[in-house]
Amino acid sequence: MTPFEIGLLALAGICVLIVLGMAVPFALMLCSFVGVWAMRDNFDLAVRMLSLSANDAIANYFFGVIPLFVFMGFVVSETGLGRDSFDVANALFRRLIGGLAIATVGANTIFAATTGVSIASAAVFTKVAVPEMVSRGYNPRFAVGVVAGSSVLGMLIPPSVLLILYGILTRQSIGDMFMAGVGPGLLLAVAYAVGIVLMAILTPGFVGTPGTVHSAPMSARVLLAKGLPISTLIIVVLGGIYGGFFTPVEAGAAGSIGALLIALARRSISWAIFRRILLNSGIVTATVCFLLVAAQMYSRMLALSGVPAGMGTAAAGADLSLPMLLGLYLALLILLGMILDSTSIMLIIVPIMVPVFAPMDVNLVWLGILTVIAVEIGLLTPPFGVSIFVVKGALDDQSITLGDIFLGTAPFAAIMLLVLVLVALFPQIALFLL
Amino acid sequence: MAPDRDPPEEPLPLRLLDMATQSLNLVGSVLIFGLVVLVGADIVGRNLFSRPLMGVAEIVSLSIVIIVFLQIPHVARMGRISRSEAVEVFLSRRAPRLVAVVNTVFDLLAILMVVAVVWGTWPLLQRSLNLGEYVGAIGSFTAPTWPVRVAILVGGSFLILQLLAQIWRRWTGIAPR
Repeated sequence: MTPFEIGLLALAGICVLIVLGMAVPFALMLCSFVGVWAMRDNFDLAVRMLSLSANDAIANYFFGVIPLFVFMGFVVSETGLGRDSFDVANALFRRLIGGLAIATVGANTIFAATTGVSIASAAVFTKVAVPEMVSRGYNPRFAVGVVAGSSVLGMLIPPSVLLILYGILTRQSIGDMFMAGVGPGLLLAVAYAVGIVLMAILTPGFVGTPGTVHSAPMSARVLLAKGLPISTLIIVVLGGIYGGFFTPVEAGAAGSIGALLIALARRSISWAIFRRILLNSGIVTATVCFLLVAAQMYSRMLALSGVPAGMGTAAAGADLSLPMLLGLYLALLILLGMILDSTSIMLIIVPIMVPVFAPMDVNLVWLGILTVIAVEIGLLTPPFGVSIFVVKGALDDQSITLGDIFLGTAPFAAIMLLVLVLVALFPQIALFLL
Repeated sequence: MAPDRDPPEEPLPLRLLDMATQSLNLVGSVLIFGLVVLVGADIVGRNLFSRPLMGVAEIVSLSIVIIVFLQIPHVARMGRISRSEAVEVFLSRRAPRLVAVVNTVFDLLAILMVVAVVWGTWPLLQRSLNLGEYVGAIGSFTAPTWPVRVAILVGGSFLILQLLAQIWRRWTGIAPR
């Protein structure tokens, strides 16, 4: 067998093992190991490839962004800043039709700018926004749909672990990736808000019948007290990167320290909470980075096999136009999102596909944004949308079923698809800040 | 013994293993906070006193590997290593035995891979120690690479033990999966 054939077999093996339920990093390690062994007929070389990857793959300054932004996200979500952003957004949007739902989207947008993982947003806003919406007369199905749908903003609006991963995988600047996420993230938030208003007018049965708001408007002072800390954090982190004051790693540290100081000043952090933040940051960091280590082994195996280059040649030979190729790629990502988590999908698909797109003169930053949106659509679709499970896990009201959440989320998945198409047609939406 | 308690107490080796795993996890968590403080100190030092800290990039690059390998046994214990549960959910009612067998085979294969990593890291550790391998530039800042190798050896070994414990738990019904 040629290395190319072995590479393809290893790829097929990975897919089969993962679908059957083998842990993703181990499936990647196993097939890469066997692949290298078979290609070079050298067992020791395969062992060395595995152990060298474990030692070097993530030994890089830029991987520091992952624990730092994950830590910052957990500080923000565990110390009540998420609840504040909801209160502020609520005060701003309360007079609109579907105001509370729009406020949830707005709060998620603000919150997304301080956290890098969408599961954090999903968990926080399930606790904060769903009971509030249901008590005001919104349909529970719609309420959970709004929360699950807008939680994906966390992965699109910087800082975002997925944008970081893509930048690492394709050697794009993480700062560029972050800036390119801003436009599409805001567009998605606005599209959600418009969608909510339309749904409230056209399909009141689905949205529910929220009563009018009687509560007194929030005084400017309270608004400021609740809104200022979180906006300062956003300005420090994103402004710091955009203005060139911080590397992304430093922005993560500065944001973490800022969030901790705010929490201390508000006395909203205790030793127990601090311990929980550290523990959860550790679990998320190790999960993501261990996958990265395995993905490094996989991409070294791929490089030896020549599969990525072969795919590029095949794509060029098959005379597929760029739009068709892009369509196939994005459809594949959405399909995979139905059975696998977003990090794993990116790490498996991006190393094969980017060499296919690279010679076609495609802007890789733009491609990365499309990739992240497509992968995140999968998070909202049955049978295995990860965000849906997080929402379900955080719900107090157990009468809302998984099926309800999927149905409630469906319109938001459709809106995401629309935004995906828009960003594909108009790359400037992503690239205007660069 | 407390007979009315729901989950029966696990055998001593498993409890000891979990305690050790948790301690490694704690060290890793403290290191994450250490990174926050270190990078923060560098920012303050550079901007306020025009005195950047030496070797921040090198320390960050090495610590991240240490953090991950010290914490991965705990992640395995919590069942948080990424996997697709579609087939398992589908089959768990219809053929629970088959699911247990397949998952055990997967665990054994995973163990083989981690053994290979640990096995191959051993000579790397010896080289680090014998040659005094470091990262950074002589004259400004250097950090030795052996702590990374040690973390991989220790974390990898505990990962192997946790995967074995997972098989044990699965077949003795301590924690049915």
